[in-house]
Amino acid sequence: MKKRVLLVGGRSKAKALALSLIHKGYQVTAINETYEDCLKLSEIDGLSVLQGDGTRPFLLEDADAAGMDIVIALTSKDEDNLVICELSKKKFHVAKTVALVTDPKKTDFFYKMGVDRVVCAITVITSIIEQQAFVEEMTNVFPLGEGHVRIAEVPVCGNAPMAGKKLWEINLPQDVIIGCILRGEKVMIPRGDTRILVGDLLILISGNGQEIAAIEELTGRESK
Amino acid sequence: MKTDQNGYTIIIGCGRLGANLANALSDAEGNVLIMDKNGDAFRKLSPSFGGLTATADATDIDALQAAGMDKADTVIVVTNNDNVNVMVAQLAREVFHVHEVIARLYDPERECVYQEFGIATICPAILSAKEINKILDRATLVEASDDAGK
Repeated sequence: MKKRVLLVGGRSKAKALALSLIHKGYQVTAINETYEDCLKLSEIDGLSVLQGDGTRPFLLEDADAAGMDIVIALTSKDEDNLVICELSKKKFHVAKTVALVTDPKKTDFFYKMGVDRVVCAITVITSIIEQQAFVEEMTNVFPLGEGHVRIAEVPVCGNAPMAGKKLWEINLPQDVIIGCILRGEKVMIPRGDTRILVGDLLILISGNGQEIAAIEELTGRESK
Repeated sequence: MKTDQNGYTIIIGCGRLGANLANALSDAEGNVLIMDKNGDAFRKLSPSFGGLTATADATDIDALQAAGMDKADTVIVVTNNDNVNVMVAQLAREVFHVHEVIARLYDPERECVYQEFGIATICPAILSAKEINKILDRATLVEASDDAGK
């Protein structure tokens, strides 16, 4: 059976998401408050569209919320997204709810209230911008676990203060480890007495936004 | 109105209900802070209102912190938006651990969201219906006793 997804609110986000999900084979329903947005959405092939306030229980019922596998709340108001997810969870027993949140400070609160996945656009975008700004130091950064954990590739240049040092001689921040060293074709899982050489590529695993401090320590560059 | 002299009450939303409650609490010498995102709303307060007012958006956690919500004994959430009331009441309960949280909900169907959080809800439509039924019952009682008296 096709997985069923309900999208509530959101203009271009709902449209882009609906297109992508339908393309991947999901059965998608969208609820939107304004007639114009609904018209736009109804242009998409295979998308069911309902007009109305998605925070009203009867409208969720009309959209068959109880039969949904995933409900995604995309409105611009945090309180509406919270109510949509809570109603889906408690009244319609939806297995997975996803909420967009504008205020990063509310992310934890939303999780506490039982929302399964909370996406904070501001946090995501700022972390991408930050990553782009440090692009000379890092070739790649992969955010994991809501962006709390990052895996970064750090090349060791000739002038780096860490070159030639053993791991235990480097003063890394507490939440950072060097998980792997790529030396040419060789992959090494380092230990305290492993020596870092120029030309190595370090795979850094860091938590709590410590990677920039770690990279400064490793490359000796001050970030501004 | 009975209030604890030392109790601190925060009222969110300075509409007719919020303003009336704030006036009554202030007259009873309770510590009251009333918050509304629109400063003009405070005109509804009586000139003798002796509590605090805060012009701020209650959906902002920092604004609630600044209002001292962590020290509040009672939080009453009566804005004209049900979803704001739901969220602020839950913030008061779960983030600020306020002992007594009361919220107004226009739509009784949303009440299920509150159930497990121990938040008291007031639903004007249901209260009005109850009152009207009471009046109707009284009317039929009076009729019945009139009939019996004849």
